[in-house]
Amino acid sequence: MTSTTEILRETAARLLSTGAVEMVIGFRQGTVPMMNEPCFVRKPAEAGLLVWDSHCGINLANYVTDRKEKKIGIVAKGCDSRNLVTHILENKIRREQLVVIGVPCRGMADKRKIAMKCPGEILRVHETETAITAEGEGFTRTFEKADVLQHNCSLCIHRNPVIHDELAGEPVEEQQGVDRYADVRAVEAMSPEQRWKYFEDLLAPCIRCYACRNACPLCYCPTCFVDESRPQWVGKGQDPVDVRTFHFLRAYHCAGRCTDCGACERACPVGINMRLFTKKLEKDCLELFGWEAGLSLEVRPALDHYRPNDPNDFIR
Amino acid sequence: MRMLLIDRRAWQEGLKRAAGQYGLIGPVKEKEFHSFRPLKPGEMPDLAFQNSRLSPKHVVYPQTEPMFAYTLDETREDRHLLKEVRREIPPRAVVGIRPCDAKAFVLVRLNFDTPDVQDPYWLRAYEATTFIGMGCNAPCSSCFCTTAGCGPFHEEGLDLLLADLGEAFAAKVLTPKGEAFARAAGWTAEAPAGAQSAFQERARAAEGRITSFVQTEHLKSIPVNDLYNASFWEEVSFSCINCGTCTYSCPTCWCFDIQDETRGKSGVRLRLWDSCMYPLFTLHGSGHNPRGTKLHRVRQRFMHKLKYFVEKYDRGIQCVGCGRCVRLCPVNIDIRRVCNMMNGFAVSGEACAIP
Amino acid sequence: MEHMGIEPGRLQFSWISSAESTKFVTVAAQVTEAVRALGPNTRFIKPLAEVA
Repeated sequence: MTSTTEILRETAARLLSTGAVEMVIGFRQGTVPMMNEPCFVRKPAEAGLLVWDSHCGINLANYVTDRKEKKIGIVAKGCDSRNLVTHILENKIRREQLVVIGVPCRGMADKRKIAMKCPGEILRVHETETAITAEGEGFTRTFEKADVLQHNCSLCIHRNPVIHDELAGEPVEEQQGVDRYADVRAVEAMSPEQRWKYFEDLLAPCIRCYACRNACPLCYCPTCFVDESRPQWVGKGQDPVDVRTFHFLRAYHCAGRCTDCGACERACPVGINMRLFTKKLEKDCLELFGWEAGLSLEVRPALDHYRPNDPNDFIR
Repeated sequence: MRMLLIDRRAWQEGLKRAAGQYGLIGPVKEKEFHSFRPLKPGEMPDLAFQNSRLSPKHVVYPQTEPMFAYTLDETREDRHLLKEVRREIPPRAVVGIRPCDAKAFVLVRLNFDTPDVQDPYWLRAYEATTFIGMGCNAPCSSCFCTTAGCGPFHEEGLDLLLADLGEAFAAKVLTPKGEAFARAAGWTAEAPAGAQSAFQERARAAEGRITSFVQTEHLKSIPVNDLYNASFWEEVSFSCINCGTCTYSCPTCWCFDIQDETRGKSGVRLRLWDSCMYPLFTLHGSGHNPRGTKLHRVRQRFMHKLKYFVEKYDRGIQCVGCGRCVRLCPVNIDIRRVCNMMNGFAVSGEACAIP
Repeated sequence: MEHMGIEPGRLQFSWISSAESTKFVTVAAQVTEAVRALGPNTRFIKPLAEVA
C-alpha cells in the first residue's frame, strides 16, 4: 500500500510537470524530532522533499492568504480544508487559484504529551500506522497514536477534506459520538471567581510572542488590534489584563470561523491551551446558530449575515 | 585559579547562608519546563534540567521595565516632570545558569555598554548580578555551543563555574565576584587534585557529547551584498510565521520598544521586548516600512546574527548555540541549517544545494 | 465574557433608539441598580505599570 508521503510526492510531481500548478505547498522533513517544516516546491524534481506523518499539525492554509500565483497546489487535511473554504468565502484566495491535495487524517501527535511521558530528551521518533515510538539515551517508549493525539484531533469530527481536487489516500471513517465540549462545560460549571482564576492561571506563562495568532489562518489583519498604537487599544507588556484581553479578543475575532485545527496550541512555545477560549465561542455558534465553520462554499457564515430570527434573548 | 570542593550538604547550607546577602535566582520547575525565578527562602535551585525553556536574560533585562514616571496632576509638586524610576537592585546571584546563557550576556553587553552610550538600566542590573554557572554534563542534541564560540564548560560571563561530580561539586573561582559569593556561602574547602582532574574530565567529556555543529569560518569574508541578495532567502523565509518566539527565547536578542502607558493624569514610560520578526518593528511614522515583507525580516534576523554582528564586533556570531530557537520555532526553521547555507554560499549566481 | 469570569449581570446589552428616551431611562436605572448590587468591579482593572 502506498504511503501518504509517496502519494503526495507523486501528485506534486505530476501537477508540477503538467503545469497544472506553479508551486505545491506541503511539509518537508524537520530537523528535530516530532517537527516538520512547511515548504514549497516549484520543480517536479523537488517533489521528493515532501513528507507526511503525524507531525504535520501546522495549518498550511495559513500560507495561501493573499497569494497572487494563478495556480497553487496545497496539501490540506480536514481542518485545513475547512480553513481554505473560509479563506475563499472571505476573499483571501480564489477557488480557481487552488488545487487542493486533500489528505484524510486520523489526527496529529502532540509532541508535548509524548515528551512528558518520556524520562529524558527524545532523540529519534518513528511511527507505524497505529503507534509512535520515541527513543532517547537509555530509553524507548512506544505509544498508541490514539493516546498521544493533539487534543483537538481527539475530538475531530471532520477528518476528511471538505474540498479537494486530489485525494492522497482513502477517506477515513469519521469519529462518532464525540463530546466536543466537555472542557467548556467544566468551566461553565465553575463560579465566576473560579473562572477568573482559572483563566488567570492558564495565561500566566504567556510571553506575547503571538505564535498562536500568527499560526492561525484566520488572523490575517494587516494591523492586528494589539499592534495598533493610535489609539493603543491593548498594552504590549505582560500586565495580566492586557494578556487576557489579547487572548479573549482574538478568540472573538475567530468566532464562527475557527475550525479547531489546533495550530495555535501547537505553535505556543510555553504550552498554553488557548483553545479554551475559542471552544466556548464555537459551542455558542453551534447552539445558537447551528453553525460550523468552513463546511461549504455555498453558505455564508452565520456571523456574516443577518437573519431576522437570529437569537437575541440576551438583549433586553 | 582556585578550585573549591562543595559537597551536597555544603551546597545546601552555603546557599542558605548566601541568601542572607544575595537575592538568589535559580531554575525552578513549572509544569513541564524550567524557568529562572527568584528562589523562595530555603528553596533550592532544581538542577535536574538541560536548560530552561526561555533564556534567563529577563533577570537582567525584564520584559516590561518602567523607565520614567510622570504626572499631570496640578496639585502635585512633581507635576510635569519625568522622574526616573530607580529600581533598587540589591546584589543577587543566578545559581545554575548554563555557560551559553552566561556568555550571551557578554555579547549583549557589547550593545548596551559602548564608549558612546551606556544603558543604565541593563548595566545596573547586570553589575549587581553574580553568575554561578553549572557546566552541562549532558548537553541537548540541539545544542551547538562548541561551534558558536562557546561550550558546555565555557567560562566567559561566569563568576563561578561548577561541575557536578556526583557526590560533590567542583567550583572554579573565576572572578572577584565569584570569590565574594563563595565567601558569603562559606565555601572554603579547596578541591584536591583528584577533583580538579575530574572537573577537566567532565568538561572534555561534555564537549565530546555535542553532536550538533555549525560552520562559520567564511561568514566574515563573504561580501555582505552577495549574502543579502542570495536566492535561498525565499525558501528559508517561506515557513516563518513572524511570531516572536525565536527572539524572545534567544539569550542574545536585545531589541526593545518604548511605550507610554497612562491612567488618568499619571503615566509611565516602559521599555518592552520587541521583535524584529513583527511587521510593525520597522514601520516608520511616514508609513514606509523598509522591512515590509516576511522575507526582509527573516533575512535581516539571520544576517544580523550571523553576518552584521560578526563584521561589527569581530567576536564571532551573535549566537551561543543554546538551541532554544531550534527547539521552540513552531515551524522548525533551523538556524543551524541557515548558518551552513550562508557559510557555504558561493558567488555563482545560484543558491547552494539545499541540504 | 461570563465564561471568563465576569459576574452575570455586570455586562448587559440593550437596543435603544434615540427616540426611545423612556426606555433609556428605565434601562439605565435598572442596569445601574443591578451592577451596584454586585459591588465594586475587581476584574479587568489594569493598574499603572509598576513603579518600583
